[in-house]
Amino acid sequence: MRETDSLEAFLQLVGEELDLAVGAGDADRDLADLPGWDSMNLLRLVTLLEAETGRRLPVHAVLEARSLAEIHSVLERQA
Amino acid sequence: MTDPGNSTLGPPVGRPMQVVARGEVWDAVRADLAAYGTAVVHADLADLEPDLPTGDELRALLGRDWSRYLDLAHPEVRHRYAASRVLLKLAAGAVLNGDPNALELAYGPTGRPYLRGCDQVDISLSHTDDLLLVGITTRGLIGVDAERADRPMYQRGLGRHVCTPYELVTLAAQPEEERNPALVRLWTLKEAYSKAIGQGMQFSFTEFGFGPDGRPVRVQRPDGSTGTGDEWGFHTFVLDSGYCISVAVYDAGFGTIGDMDMTTMLDQDCVDAIEGALRNGGGGRRA
Repeated sequence: MRETDSLEAFLQLVGEELDLAVGAGDADRDLADLPGWDSMNLLRLVTLLEAETGRRLPVHAVLEARSLAEIHSVLERQA
Repeated sequence: MTDPGNSTLGPPVGRPMQVVARGEVWDAVRADLAAYGTAVVHADLADLEPDLPTGDELRALLGRDWSRYLDLAHPEVRHRYAASRVLLKLAAGAVLNGDPNALELAYGPTGRPYLRGCDQVDISLSHTDDLLLVGITTRGLIGVDAERADRPMYQRGLGRHVCTPYELVTLAAQPEEERNPALVRLWTLKEAYSKAIGQGMQFSFTEFGFGPDGRPVRVQRPDGSTGTGDEWGFHTFVLDSGYCISVAVYDAGFGTIGDMDMTTMLDQDCVDAIEGALRNGGGGRRA
């Protein structure tokens, strides 16, 4: 299982698994402003995180997130 | 996958038409709108490039979207944002016989776009990779969505967030090589329907579904029973470029409209009300 506790590790996982160019400066960027980001990526990320953590994520909370940092916060609250 | 997406239920939709730079597609778009009450156009970002204005021209065309455009930091995202609005306004300007710069794109509470003051048409926008997609209808409501047909979707765990129990069973029963394109088709249908009703993904995709390809398409409940009637039309097309496009159209009974011109078309109820007021009140001012 890969570590996603830190925001940096989470961003790295997003970049590698979803094949997106995501850097540290993108954590607080509006998701609509991330190149290549779309709603299918969001669900792929939920699926990926569920596999990584072994926990089910509240999809509605993830859908309400406006940035990768907010999605990471949802993940932290579920820890 | 069935193509053209000619489900026999609900309002018909012609095959999406490709727009190229300074292309003469608009007569065909107007013809589709006259025949079906709906027209769908798509463009490749690179093909549209010569038609994209810059500077003050772009600012004039984007109107109230200009500040949102400036807020977008990434050049690629910003460029596509502008291009999708340009395609929409070119298409709407063509069918409404109006100046694209005079059209104001506005957004409802859920982010659903509409043309302010032009309620004779409903619109929908979508983009994926370099494909831009616009749907316009006079029938009532429209939602469009596009995705690469070969985008990997059918993977462990994802279906649980996208499909109804009935859809999961139906997908699993298909030959393995057909499952991914079938799921992409379902995804685009769900996105198109959600956009048409203005809900986006907050309306859980596991709470409504669609049947397999090759049958009349309608919304189904999670157990596969019928959810909508023939007031809704759902159509899926696969472009030569490999994109899967789905269109959802709700027929509110308006049908096709002869006069689409934005400068002459008036709502008949509004005309009656004004005429009545003039007859009864003589045009006097209220105190």
